[in-house]
Amino acid sequence: MSAIEDQAGPRPRPGTLPPGVGPRRLPGGLAPAFRSRPRGRRRTLLPQFLLAPAVLLFLLFTVAPGVYAIYLSFLKPQIGGGLLGNENPKDVFAGLENYRATLADSEFWHSILRMLLVAGIGVPATIFFATLFALCLDAKRARLVGIARLAIFLPYAVPGVIASLLWGFIYLPATSPIGGDHIDYFGSGQVFFSVANVAVWGVLGFNMVVLYTTLRSLPRELFEAAEIDGASELQIALRIKLPLLAPTMTLVTVFSLIGALQLFNEPTTLKPIANAISSTWVPLMRVYTDAFVNNDIHRGAATSFLLIIMTVAATAVANLLLRRISRRSER
Amino acid sequence: MLGGYLKKAAILGLAATTALTTLAACGSSKDSSDGKSDGPVKLTFVNWDGGMKDVVDEWNRQNPNVQVELTKPSGTGYTLYNKLITNNRAGTNPDTTEVEYQALPALIANKVVVPIDDYVGDLSSDFDKASLAQVQFDGKTYGVPQNICPMIFFYRKDIFDQLGLKAPATWDEYAAAAETIHKHNPKQFIGNFTAVDAGWFAGLAQQAGANWWTASGSKWTVAIDDAPTRKVADYWGDLIQKGLVSPEPNWSPQWNTDMNNGTLVGWVSAQWAPNQLPGIAKDTAGKWVAAPLPAWTPGDQTVGIWGGESEAVTANSKHPAEAAKFVKWMNSSAGGAKILIEKVSAFPASKANQQLDALRTPPPFMSNQPDYNTLMAQQAGNVRTFQIWGPNANVTFDSYSNAFAAALQRKTPLSAALTEMQQATVGDMKQRGFDATG
Repeated sequence: MSAIEDQAGPRPRPGTLPPGVGPRRLPGGLAPAFRSRPRGRRRTLLPQFLLAPAVLLFLLFTVAPGVYAIYLSFLKPQIGGGLLGNENPKDVFAGLENYRATLADSEFWHSILRMLLVAGIGVPATIFFATLFALCLDAKRARLVGIARLAIFLPYAVPGVIASLLWGFIYLPATSPIGGDHIDYFGSGQVFFSVANVAVWGVLGFNMVVLYTTLRSLPRELFEAAEIDGASELQIALRIKLPLLAPTMTLVTVFSLIGALQLFNEPTTLKPIANAISSTWVPLMRVYTDAFVNNDIHRGAATSFLLIIMTVAATAVANLLLRRISRRSER
Repeated sequence: MLGGYLKKAAILGLAATTALTTLAACGSSKDSSDGKSDGPVKLTFVNWDGGMKDVVDEWNRQNPNVQVELTKPSGTGYTLYNKLITNNRAGTNPDTTEVEYQALPALIANKVVVPIDDYVGDLSSDFDKASLAQVQFDGKTYGVPQNICPMIFFYRKDIFDQLGLKAPATWDEYAAAAETIHKHNPKQFIGNFTAVDAGWFAGLAQQAGANWWTASGSKWTVAIDDAPTRKVADYWGDLIQKGLVSPEPNWSPQWNTDMNNGTLVGWVSAQWAPNQLPGIAKDTAGKWVAAPLPAWTPGDQTVGIWGGESEAVTANSKHPAEAAKFVKWMNSSAGGAKILIEKVSAFPASKANQQLDALRTPPPFMSNQPDYNTLMAQQAGNVRTFQIWGPNANVTFDSYSNAFAAALQRKTPLSAALTEMQQATVGDMKQRGFDATG
């Protein structure tokens, strides 16, 4: 009941519950009865008050540095006098020079390609396995659900750097328990799978929990009805659960895509042990290298601003596409 | 149900973040408020060498009024220097720091470290010209040299003896030994070519006669792809192509294992290796022997350096005079140098301290080679370095690891990677406004 009430509220929050489980789908036409007017819209500052800390932190630690970075991206260092240029060095206005330099650098585009390649492997794998595990855990005959759920979730709790170090040991021939002396996990092609694999295990657990939670919140009557009609466990999973899961899968896919664009920890940690990974292997590594290795914070700022634009654009497009797809599947 | 937990966790997380931020803010304001208060002057010192604590403890015992606190950086080499450059703007750097010679110009160019001539006076009676050239620029002194790190060839004597091999005196002999070793056991290599250690390759280039940077007035000439460096790259490229040298990078778990289990039976390294080897290959203590680096022409004793550090005082320090006294004591007094030799396995740069009794015993890992430090003293006298390290050696070093790693991965000629380094270095210098050609 409470689930239905939530759904009928004025603003169903996307993501927490799948819009696909709309009340109109429930038997008995109960939903309209609950579509009462929102209770007393009293003027209160409570929401603002509760939001304030988050907004403040967001402004302080995301917006303000962001604006500062944009400002920095239009400057460049100008050395001063002396052999090492250390007499009165200063930052001067550079116009779009930093942006032009980044856009004209083929290595920048290569780094984007490499990131897309890892994403192309990692995102579908994440969604596939997260959905598979969620459906398995939700199956009627599933045993040891609690332990299994924890086991799948656990890698998510391991910090990315530590996980990458562990995977480094697993991949390297001298220490590999999975045949590293026969398979070159850091070969020029294999390295994309190796990095994607580390990243997938890092986010699989979280996505699985999101999907599983959605599954658990679906009305059980549907499955019981299907069972009475003679549907097998597999048929219930594929024909009933999966379509109802589609909106959440959309959300999870968008999250994974954004996550993939932010690929950094895994390749950075694996870099010192693999000749296949350079310090500009993916765009964020390049930003880091520009700013903190080559000591050109301005170029780094310009590159990261370009990346933000690309990320926002990519997210918007992905969101649009996936929403269209899920709407079609809902029909 | 789990959703509820997640929500709760998120709220808790937010609360924790807020609390931590507040705490951090409090912490930093406290740090910066310390001015000229009563009580002893407190200095902070960042250094990653094992055993450095003994040096600091001794200073603290002798100087109750200037207490030094030692911290280990989160990463060595450029991880530290880049942090120093970034933190310099925030004013949060420690009072003193270790700086490897090749990184000092970059730190000076970024105004991270300050001249200390006023505090340490004339150093020319303590150090020879070659050592001072590493820390003096435009007539100012920016650090006190600690050690000299000539490149040294380390080899597993037990395995060399088995095969009837001697320490190679020339690079030709090294190549021949590489072949003998690999033929006898295809899993064994005489060594590896590391794409993560630009300083290592720079040292080899120095021996061959390269001069990556030269400066006159404020004009720079960059020649990273000069003939001597190409000779070095082609030599190693040939060994790698023949499969006689492993292309794996240093310091990885793979490399540690290979060094420990006898897959790698030689290491072109430097004076400080015995300080590192216990952590790399602990089971091989007493089996390694140090020998002079192979020469390009028989009889030529020139060697390059790999590493070597000075201690510098930062621009953020509120007590530069005390900090400068501390670093001078550590690196030029007999008391400081003795502990550096015994605990940090350093070979001192200060002339007088090269005669210290402490150098009569080898580092613990080399107990089988009693005259280890005699060899170091000899080799320290044969050192040849570049005329000057460029103000952007960080860019060069990063480019080295990218270009050489890619060349090893794709099995393309190493000398092409030199071109990439040259272009990256010159391009960066020009962009910053240096008058650079090359």
